[in-house]
Amino acid sequence: MKPIKQYAYLFDTTRCIDCRACMIACTVENQVPMNDSYIWVAGKDVIGEYPNLKRATMPYHCMHCLEPSCASACIVGAWQKREDGPVVYDDTKCIGCRYCMNACPFDVPHFEWDKGIAGGALITKCQMCKQRLEVGQEPACVQTCPTGALTFGERQELIAEAHKRINTHPTRYINHVYGETENGGTSYLILSHVPFKELGLPEIAPTPVNAVSETVMSGTLPFAFTWGAVLTGVALLVRLRNRGKEIAAAEVIETEKSTEETK
Amino acid sequence: MTNTLSRRDFLKLSGAAALGGFIPPQAAHAAHKAGQINAKGEGYISTLCEMCVWRCGVLAKVKEGRVVKLEGNPEHAHARGNLCPRGQAGVMTTYDPDRVLTPLIRVGKRGEGKFRKASWEEALDLVAENMLSIKQKYGAEAMVFSSTHNLSQVQFENLLQAFGSPNYGTQRSLCFNAMIVSNLMTYGMEEPARDYSQVKYIILTGRNLAEAISNSETGDLIQAIDRGAKMIYLDPRHTKTAGKAAEWLAIRPGTDLAFHLALINVIVTEKLYNQNFVSQYTTGFDELANSVRAYTPEWAATLTEIPAETIRRIAHEFSAAGSYALAHNGWRTSNFVNSFQTERAITILNALVGNWGTMMLAGAGEESGALGKPPQPAYPRVAATRLDGVPWKYPFVPLKIGVFQQLRDSILSEEPYAAHGWFTSRQNPVLSLPDRQRTLQAFAKMDFVVTVDIIMNDTAWFSDVVLPEASYLERFDPLAMLGNRIFIRQPVIEPQGEARSALWIYKQLGQRLGISDFFQYKDEEDYLRQQLAPTRVSLEELRASGYADMSQTKKSEANKAPHWNTPSGKIEIKSALLAKAGYAALPAWEEPLAPRGGQFYLLTGKGARQTQFGTQNNKLLHKYEDEQRLWMNAKTAASLGLKDNDLVEVKSEVGKVYVKLEATQAIRPDCVYLMPGFGHISKGLTTAYGLGASDSDLHITYTDPVSGSQALSQTFVTVKKVERS
Repeated sequence: MKPIKQYAYLFDTTRCIDCRACMIACTVENQVPMNDSYIWVAGKDVIGEYPNLKRATMPYHCMHCLEPSCASACIVGAWQKREDGPVVYDDTKCIGCRYCMNACPFDVPHFEWDKGIAGGALITKCQMCKQRLEVGQEPACVQTCPTGALTFGERQELIAEAHKRINTHPTRYINHVYGETENGGTSYLILSHVPFKELGLPEIAPTPVNAVSETVMSGTLPFAFTWGAVLTGVALLVRLRNRGKEIAAAEVIETEKSTEETK
Repeated sequence: MTNTLSRRDFLKLSGAAALGGFIPPQAAHAAHKAGQINAKGEGYISTLCEMCVWRCGVLAKVKEGRVVKLEGNPEHAHARGNLCPRGQAGVMTTYDPDRVLTPLIRVGKRGEGKFRKASWEEALDLVAENMLSIKQKYGAEAMVFSSTHNLSQVQFENLLQAFGSPNYGTQRSLCFNAMIVSNLMTYGMEEPARDYSQVKYIILTGRNLAEAISNSETGDLIQAIDRGAKMIYLDPRHTKTAGKAAEWLAIRPGTDLAFHLALINVIVTEKLYNQNFVSQYTTGFDELANSVRAYTPEWAATLTEIPAETIRRIAHEFSAAGSYALAHNGWRTSNFVNSFQTERAITILNALVGNWGTMMLAGAGEESGALGKPPQPAYPRVAATRLDGVPWKYPFVPLKIGVFQQLRDSILSEEPYAAHGWFTSRQNPVLSLPDRQRTLQAFAKMDFVVTVDIIMNDTAWFSDVVLPEASYLERFDPLAMLGNRIFIRQPVIEPQGEARSALWIYKQLGQRLGISDFFQYKDEEDYLRQQLAPTRVSLEELRASGYADMSQTKKSEANKAPHWNTPSGKIEIKSALLAKAGYAALPAWEEPLAPRGGQFYLLTGKGARQTQFGTQNNKLLHKYEDEQRLWMNAKTAASLGLKDNDLVEVKSEVGKVYVKLEATQAIRPDCVYLMPGFGHISKGLTTAYGLGASDSDLHITYTDPVSGSQALSQTFVTVKKVERS
């Protein structure tokens, strides 16, 4: 594989205080609805029994795999691993089949269940604040982190930094950089003082899930084409219906607004 | 009641795109002129956060007259480009659907929540009329004023002093009077600054920096630990800070003093102190050596439940780190009447290792010495004594700090005289003072109550007039310095509705109260220009860049031999002032009250996403907030037949509340903990109303006679299960 310069996050549990500034920054930056979140707190928090206790949490979000399973599972090409790091999603292509959700070994993509397929529901997840990368800013979560638990930079440099921290403080960290090889490597790298499973991270082989799934998928190509065509048809119909709904919804909002103003 | 934010709210937050050419709103003119706002009306404007008192520099991203995102200002020493969760959620405080956007006048019974909208003219006239009538009938002292640490407080103080009332309440006696008075007695300053850049050993006595966040100081601590500094953390709870400590010591509440006395005992008897520093810069060491003789680690072990060998080892480690050891001198793990002596012991511990100049520095302060101010006449002489006992009962409590809970109690007892009016600005005493029933009784005694705030907080709910202030993203405030930098709080968007700045509100009142000579500025910008007059910095420059550098302090001054503003000019291990007033001049053990059978210590302490009593209505903070539940040790809970999420009744001598239980490993078996700030009773707060319970309903009022500090932990409670109907 030819080396490409790409961005990644490095997260260090020993610096995280679980303040959740990253999550609020993400919500505001990406206008994430109140019933959804691209980042969530993972991990056991308090570990052990009084008075022998530890704490460990992490902000869990898309791992931005180098060979993303979501992309290989997607039959309409809505997912793409960009050269600069983020795994991005094109909602105009998505047909709501949710194969990506099943494919992701990290359980990341969410579906807007409250809307349902007929409601034009889409998949949501962290996209590395691609709109900020374009103007030279770090993702909102990294930018705001008060303790430097989250850092952002070129992936190879961050891997080197992570190993440097482990080598400098061998008793402080588990001797592994999570994401360096998991699922073929990810752009979210994690250093931890507790076993990674205590943070809610799955144990994953270095071979990307894709390598397996793609073998299987190749045999099902004719089926996928047919099923894809059917789903595309459904999606088109849904979209046509939604256009009418969106207009109606906008009117409701306007009415509610003016009612409030006259209160 | 719903606590989720619908998409509709978010549409409001992000704002619908305006059609047609962009005309910058008034608020964005300076930024537009300076090229910080582009032709599409997008860009960043520099201002200051107000989600807590740390006051970080903020870059507000604006888009077509709306603020859409806040970033930490890299140029601001408290922010360094970062914001904490509260800072990030500031947009929702400004766009809170519950904002009060017109003046309101009460029409129903007080506390019933019935108000009508009024014009500023009518509301201000009514406030002035009532204040003047109280002054005429009972004297200016019958008007009580209270406000919390904020940038416009200087003008609030100006208003009350010009009006002629001595009665002023701040929240500090509910928080850190013990620390401030102890520092004043020992160092002659309210709060020395702390420098973590070279620290090797840190003792945090309940200073939960990971949850009670002071943005840059929290960052400093984590970086120090990252570099290899050893942190010892004392707290009956295993907080997020405990999770970062090399050692967590679950000390018994009320015994912080014993722990520190024992550390001093070891350091003194084993001669581990910095002898040069102690002999040159301190007074009273010999007396200290005598007075701590009995406070051995073995003695402290039975009180604190920390093994004697651990205390001895920590004393050795702390003194070995010498001038790179820091005992955080600002907090306590629990707050008892003996907390003042705890704070004294901590300040002395620092003096013994001689960490002045390395770990502890003369306070950074917010003195605006380089700035000017509008001219004004001398304040009228006030003959009346203060209701809060300062200084006649509490001689060491600074006038600007006061003893708030005593003020409330004097209103109730009408001793030494009765109060008749209460003016509150951006503060919520109904929720913050201990024993809420008494606070409500005090409010009920008032002839007139007026509140300035941005939302209908609980105190506004019990007011006769509510004056809507512009939010911190919508207004100018008086300028303040941080080190050698002047920073500006300026509007990044236009005020919503009829909301106005405090500078404007107080000037309008001044005119109606016949004290307009004390408000000699045309408008907010004129006030700031007069402040800037001696500096050669123009308001336009300041608005564009957000800050301006003043000349550096001369190097020679920084290298001068240290001097402390105490009677001896030295660090007073033995306090001459305390001795003179007949108080213990050296820290001595005072036995704290303790729970009786079946009772628990009730602990308090901040969480990372709330600031005191004013942020709980913010829906963004709420999105990622853990539900407020009563922490109880899991084993204790099991022994009482209680499970996670059981509804329990928590009862003290003065009140009871109902709240869900959290059975956790992270607390001592003899304690329970309730996060403060919840249990709002104003129905004008649609998110916060009815959420959780208030520990103010449980707290008994106990005041430390020296510092005036409220002993928040001297309340013990029983907990029992409530069967859900």
